[in-house]
Amino acid sequence: MNKDPYAVALKNALTEIKKICPDVSRSFIFTKDGVIVAGDSETDEKTMEKMIRSFQSVAEKADTIGSLKAVYVNGKKGKVILSSVNDMYLALATSKNADTTYLHSVTRVLIPTVLKLLETITPTPLQFAPSKQLVVDTLSGFFVGDSVQIDTELLEEWYKLLNQRSVNQVEIEAFGGKATQCKVKEINDPKLKGKGIIRIPERVCKTLEVKKGELVKVKPA
Amino acid sequence: MSAKNKSKDDIEIMQEKLQSIKGREGIIGFILRGSNSASIDLKDPTKIIDYAALSAAAFEAGQDMSAVLEIGKVDTILLEGEETKVLSMVINNHRLSIFMEKNVDHNKLCKDLNLT
Repeated sequence: MNKDPYAVALKNALTEIKKICPDVSRSFIFTKDGVIVAGDSETDEKTMEKMIRSFQSVAEKADTIGSLKAVYVNGKKGKVILSSVNDMYLALATSKNADTTYLHSVTRVLIPTVLKLLETITPTPLQFAPSKQLVVDTLSGFFVGDSVQIDTELLEEWYKLLNQRSVNQVEIEAFGGKATQCKVKEINDPKLKGKGIIRIPERVCKTLEVKKGELVKVKPA
Repeated sequence: MSAKNKSKDDIEIMQEKLQSIKGREGIIGFILRGSNSASIDLKDPTKIIDYAALSAAAFEAGQDMSAVLEIGKVDTILLEGEETKVLSMVINNHRLSIFMEKNVDHNKLCKDLNLT
């Protein structure tokens, strides 16, 4: 999950929403690309990812009704609300009897206000680079150092997306849940370029509990 | 009356209600799908495949979201687009999706279908 000022401020906004509307049991915010921006402490990242996948599966087929603005699921024990707020989506789980009109009034004021305020006081624009799934290739030897290696094209894509001159560190997350941050360099072996791999030193592989050939999620740190 | 016959009658009653609903202002059409049959009535038949795919995706996502966030058996799913919206629900083992303009009161539709 992103730890920049936006994420911290939005997480605080979610906490405030829960205080104002105690019927809200879970809440998180994600971008159109499916990047989790902020979430409450009760909802783990896997739950959020499952929700986002479900949302995206509908969004892909929603051209016929215009782009998908909101999804409401009414269940016997509660409700799920996913609604667009500016360029992002807010996901909420509430009790069965939650006053959704009141909830909408609160969220539609609070979240855009926080975003507007952040855009005013924070110099960097709101940009999130989506994580990429890459195949692990191990780096071994005495001189491998601590840096991981990925394709130049991917690094360039991230520079542009984040409006930065370079990406020096990446966050790597294994599907087992282990995560770490490492310095990043371009892949130096021409034979391995363009293959969607990430070359990770063996020591880091042990930390992440991953082996060669397994998938990991990588994004700029 | 056997349960099977009652269910058949219920579906026939719902079909009648749907015929009355589809004539209302802002209603684009509906898809009613049972295990062996489907009834589709849309103003723009060229969009049948798109609407059917969206309806199926809505039910699937609704079930998944309900399971993930533990909100129990799904009563209704509402998808809101830029221009239109879709109300989906299961009635007597039939999957019903009603497509409508955004200004239509979908809660009233639920009431008219005796779902609330």
